Amino acid sequence: MRERIFEILSESLPAVDFEADFLFGELDSMGIVTIFVVLAKEYNISFDAMDATPKNFKSIDSIVKMVEQKIANL
Amino acid sequence: MTLEQSIFHYAQTAPDRVAAVCGSDSISYSELRDAIARRAEELRASGLQPHRPYTFRATQDIDFLITYCAIHYAKAIAVPLEHKATEESFQSIKSQVEGCSFAEDIVDVLYTTGTTGKSKGVMLSEMALVSCTDNFIADLHFSEELLFIISGPLNHIASLFKIHPTLSAGGTVCILDGLKDMSAFFSVFDLPFKKVATFLVPASIRLIMQLAYDKLCAVSDKIDFIETGAAPITKQDMELLSKALPSSRLYNTLGGTEIGAVCTYNFNDGRYMEGCIGRPMKNSVVEISEEGNLVVSGPTIMSGYVADQQSTSQVLKDGKIYTADLGYVDDEGLIHLTGRQGDVINIGGFKISPSEVEAAAISHPDIKDCICIAATHPVIGQVLKLLYVPAEGCQLKSHAIARHIKTLVEPHKVPTYYEAVETVQRTYNGKLDRKYYKN
Repeated sequence: MRERIFEILSESLPAVDFEADFLFGELDSMGIVTIFVVLAKEYNISFDAMDATPKNFKSIDSIVKMVEQKIANL
Repeated sequence: MTLEQSIFHYAQTAPDRVAAVCGSDSISYSELRDAIARRAEELRASGLQPHRPYTFRATQDIDFLITYCAIHYAKAIAVPLEHKATEESFQSIKSQVEGCSFAEDIVDVLYTTGTTGKSKGVMLSEMALVSCTDNFIADLHFSEELLFIISGPLNHIASLFKIHPTLSAGGTVCILDGLKDMSAFFSVFDLPFKKVATFLVPASIRLIMQLAYDKLCAVSDKIDFIETGAAPITKQDMELLSKALPSSRLYNTLGGTEIGAVCTYNFNDGRYMEGCIGRPMKNSVVEISEEGNLVVSGPTIMSGYVADQQSTSQVLKDGKIYTADLGYVDDEGLIHLTGRQGDVINIGGFKISPSEVEAAAISHPDIKDCICIAATHPVIGQVLKLLYVPAEGCQLKSHAIARHIKTLVEPHKVPTYYEAVETVQRTYNGKLDRKYYKN
């Protein structure tokens, strides 16, 4: 899953370094929304505003963990 | 009264009132006054002279506020640049402004794409700042009970010029680093303030409504007003926002670095007129030229561009700014925008010159030709797209191009979409055919 998420997010936000030490610092609000839209479509899950936290976007691994939790809670 | 005079006034009359909050930091009016005086002394000691420019990065925090006011207090000129500006861009602007002399009434130089499409330093006088503040206080009714959330970049007029009316009215500014941490945005409503207001570009309004409509409705009784501007807001978004905030004032404002805050329209009137910017504010006059352009005069307008008399004379004639905005006045005297002249692309309120993006992209050795155009994103709205012709035998990944461009321009100028094409359309005389892509 990590590779797939990395691939689709890198394609959607080509200017973002998804291997950055602190990914949240690389993103702006539109970047966060784009990630929500892309992941929602790919995994048929939904996000709300409170998911946009520094903790959930600390790294690509944090995003993967968030997606895994969303899928588990479906 | 200037911003600094207001801060010093409230430091006397309401010393413990909170002037600014940012995350877990806060500063009272008396603490802010003292910090400004100390910082001004440090700046003087480091060699800053009156009427000379001081270039600095607009960090999204209280320290920015202290430095910005301290520069004015030292009678120098504040030149705030985007905090993520490349070092090359920062040094280039710094050396440009330091090589210029300025009139004694200039207090700010703000860099913008604005009316002309190329980054230029807009010189603003103390009178312009005070008049613009006066416009906001009179028409948007800033008050001492108000907590104003600033989430946009503080080098941008839409954010920077909200500090002035908020603190001049004795209110409190809350500085956020963008809207990406939505929980931080909504936690502001837990602070002990009765009235909250903010400025949001239309893309941010859509973002909040898509991700947190229920939460917005839940804090509606605290929202005194929301102001938008810098890009067109749709009738649908106006209606939806009005439904969430039936009792709040919802303004669509025309403003710009060259013209200041000029017109505003409270669209929570049941009519939701798309493109309407209302009537001119207290200190501003707006006319429509024969060609249909908005022409702005009054004390809020700029003094000119830094070291660019030619560009200045193109837009500033006989004390009037000839904008690239097209519009008309209706039977009620309300002004409506209908479009904009020129090649500038508006991305979330940032006006971007595509030629600047193309110049950055073409410097990549594996790109033979390119054009930067506007494209539609399902959520964000308008975004940049780069169509590029790869050099022979070269295969390029989008992120490689994006990262190359990112080293040369500010982050908001990096395209979102990339597409390899065989050719880029040009006119008969070899210029990029932008009209072809607009259609």
